[in-house]
Amino acid sequence: MKKKSFNLSGVMQSKITWAVVAELLILLVCFIIRPDFFSIKYQPATGMLYGSLIDILNRSAEITIIAMGMTLVIALGGTDLSVGSLVALSGALALKFLRWDVLVYNTPGDYTVKPFILVILVPLAVCTLMGMFNGFMISRIGMQPIIATLILMVCGRGIAQIVTNGKQFTTLYSPFRVIGQGSLFFLPMPIIITAVVVIGVSLFVRKTAFGTMVESVGINPSASRLSGIDSKKIIMIVFALTAFLSAISGLITASRVMSNDSNNFGINFEMDAILAVVIGGTNMSGGKFSLAGTVIGSIIIRTIVTFVYYFGIVSEATMAFKALIIIVVIVLQSEPVRKKMSKFGKKKVTGGVQHA
Amino acid sequence: MPDHSLLEMKGIEIEFPGVKALDKVDFSVNAGEIHALLGENGAGKSTLIKCLTGVHHMDAGTILFDGKEIRPTSPQEAFSMGISTVYQEINLCPNLTVAENIFVGRQPMKGGMINWKEINRRAKELMSRFHMDIDVTRPLNNYSTAIQQMVSIARAVDIDAKILILDEPTSSLDDNEVQLLFNVMRELKAEGMGIIFITHFLDQIFAVSDRMTILRNGTLVGTYNTTDITKLQLVTLMIGKDIDVIFNLKRAHVDPNAPEMLRTENLGTPGQIQNVNLSMKKGELLGFAGLLGSGRTETAELIFGAVPATEGTEDINGKRVSIKKPLDAIKAKLAFCPEDRKRDGIIGDLSIRENIALALQARRGFLHPISRQEQNELADKYIKLLSIATPDAEKKIGDLSGGNQQKVILARWMATQPDLLILDEPTRGIDVGAKAEIQRLMLEMCNDGVSVIFISSELEEIIRCSNRIIVMRDGKKVGEVKGEECTQQTLLSIIAEGEQEGASA
Repeated sequence: MKKKSFNLSGVMQSKITWAVVAELLILLVCFIIRPDFFSIKYQPATGMLYGSLIDILNRSAEITIIAMGMTLVIALGGTDLSVGSLVALSGALALKFLRWDVLVYNTPGDYTVKPFILVILVPLAVCTLMGMFNGFMISRIGMQPIIATLILMVCGRGIAQIVTNGKQFTTLYSPFRVIGQGSLFFLPMPIIITAVVVIGVSLFVRKTAFGTMVESVGINPSASRLSGIDSKKIIMIVFALTAFLSAISGLITASRVMSNDSNNFGINFEMDAILAVVIGGTNMSGGKFSLAGTVIGSIIIRTIVTFVYYFGIVSEATMAFKALIIIVVIVLQSEPVRKKMSKFGKKKVTGGVQHA
Repeated sequence: MPDHSLLEMKGIEIEFPGVKALDKVDFSVNAGEIHALLGENGAGKSTLIKCLTGVHHMDAGTILFDGKEIRPTSPQEAFSMGISTVYQEINLCPNLTVAENIFVGRQPMKGGMINWKEINRRAKELMSRFHMDIDVTRPLNNYSTAIQQMVSIARAVDIDAKILILDEPTSSLDDNEVQLLFNVMRELKAEGMGIIFITHFLDQIFAVSDRMTILRNGTLVGTYNTTDITKLQLVTLMIGKDIDVIFNLKRAHVDPNAPEMLRTENLGTPGQIQNVNLSMKKGELLGFAGLLGSGRTETAELIFGAVPATEGTEDINGKRVSIKKPLDAIKAKLAFCPEDRKRDGIIGDLSIRENIALALQARRGFLHPISRQEQNELADKYIKLLSIATPDAEKKIGDLSGGNQQKVILARWMATQPDLLILDEPTRGIDVGAKAEIQRLMLEMCNDGVSVIFISSELEEIIRCSNRIIVMRDGKKVGEVKGEECTQQTLLSIIAEGEQEGASA
């Protein structure tokens, strides 16, 4: 009997609950202003479903995918600033292989493509290596993650420029188009890819002991080491995985526009990914993490952006508007507010207080 | 006794989900008194203190301070009323200077700028009042734990505190440092301060306190004058059981023909410790005695690979092993409970279950997870076996009392079924009952054929449990005694021999 109220209190205290509430509130506002916001239509011409909700999921794919890795990075107590640059690099590498013939033909169309498998594998492999470089700098050299990944954040776009000789390529190669613009089961392909990534990472993290070890290292590295956890290996895997996911994200980005743009691909992706993780309830200081929360966080971010476009708010105000809503979400999730809201249950006691 | 108390807490009650943490507890402190607050882990000492300092909010009861009713809602508020607390874990900024640490947050200003001269002068003055002639402009982490402890007391006292709460201040100090602290406490007492002293060291209570209040399971057992009570009575009151039952421990029996379990030859790492030569039998309990910093912990860390050895050899069960990191040691069936439980032991935000399964999981590698059901079974088994006081295995380890945390760490290692278990100060900072239980477990494991290395600063428990005792000083083995033949006197004299040369270190 007592248990029930306690559980309710637990739910009210969970950050994920409040992220979901925030998302529902934003959607509610959308619905009030434009009741057709929720309509989803089938378009036989493309074989896909269309509608704002589908669009939100579709467009949030890049950030959701990266944020899966970012969640683990943050759970370790770090941050990865290089993801945006890796998106650009991944796009550049893909287009480089798609337009191997650029010296012969100026316009896309009549060209000889290198094996398509390379177009996919090379960006994934190169970015993963870059992530291992991050992991190496952090775990072996002992650099702080924010500094170590800053290196690639700055020079990653430079490498992307070098790969394409500073040029912007376009392609019409249709198999490549499938990644960002194709469909499967009536849904845009990026949603399918995101679903596969989310399920894959979740299974890897929770069905093996990897997640617990990440949390353990994030909470207390010294005790984890003495308990036999190889934190260097864990750090390496997490940063490599994040870079790998950034590469997937880069392929989707490039496929959407069938082009590469080393200056503009993946701009602010690191910030959005970090934000998605934080809104999802994972603490920046490391430790316990929630992948489900991160997915919701990413969707919230995209909902806000869609909201802004949809209601014709001037694009200059987008950032300010985004900031405003995020402040509301973060305040909703903050300790004092959650506590006030959870007064249904018995009051909970804060631990570890000290005078400073 | 003065007719009014400086502090009077009456009928304090507080309930946490599922437990009554304090039930109608009365507690009072007079001006110019050192009052010891005693009880086992989980008896409610910390909870009572946290009510007083505003961390917890009591459900019933009143607090009279200096004749006025108070109800602090935060430690800051209690602090500004004159109730200062020095916690067990030093709570300062190690990379700031001593002076900065004392004055941080209330720096004397001069023309809008911090007056560094004044800060350093006053800090120097304050520290010399505690007979500590140190350079206050050097970073705090240049100094020993004892000095850091003094600095945090100095900081607490400098703010016109009327009540000073010392929560386990002596657990990381050696005897000389404890004496120094006691002198300071007596001086503060003479100045009319009321001091609440929480400790698990019974000798210290008798050495320094005037009165004592004993709690058990959240209820008040009683308040006694220190002169009216004996140590035996005290322990009996604290644990509520007859002491003989608890202390009836029998040394492990070692078969003289038992095979050699551990052998090290000239094991070492330059700059840390060198030339460690040890030999241990299966099922033997080997005690390491010596002062803090004598090389006991370093030896343990070397054997376990927490600090990798760069020279010498290590054999386990007759097989040569190369241990470069703790994981190698765990694979070789070694286990190590480190000295600093908080820093090196617990994973605070993870559950008891996850903490128990951790080392076993690490040995298996993350690709071979221990199933949830196995984890539950492990956790339930050890919660029962070690009588860990918790409603269930999903509670965060960080929320447990010190003794129970220690039991969880012990369970983590027992779960790996080690051949050699190294326990570095496993009983520090935990109460008499839990202490006896840990000793009992150690001995039971020895009888089951596990070899145990037991490091402790308390000679009494080392002598009571060990088959053989190695005495260390300045990174070297200076003596070896059989447990049965050993007395505190013999050990002390071995430790103290050549003390003059060691004292400056």
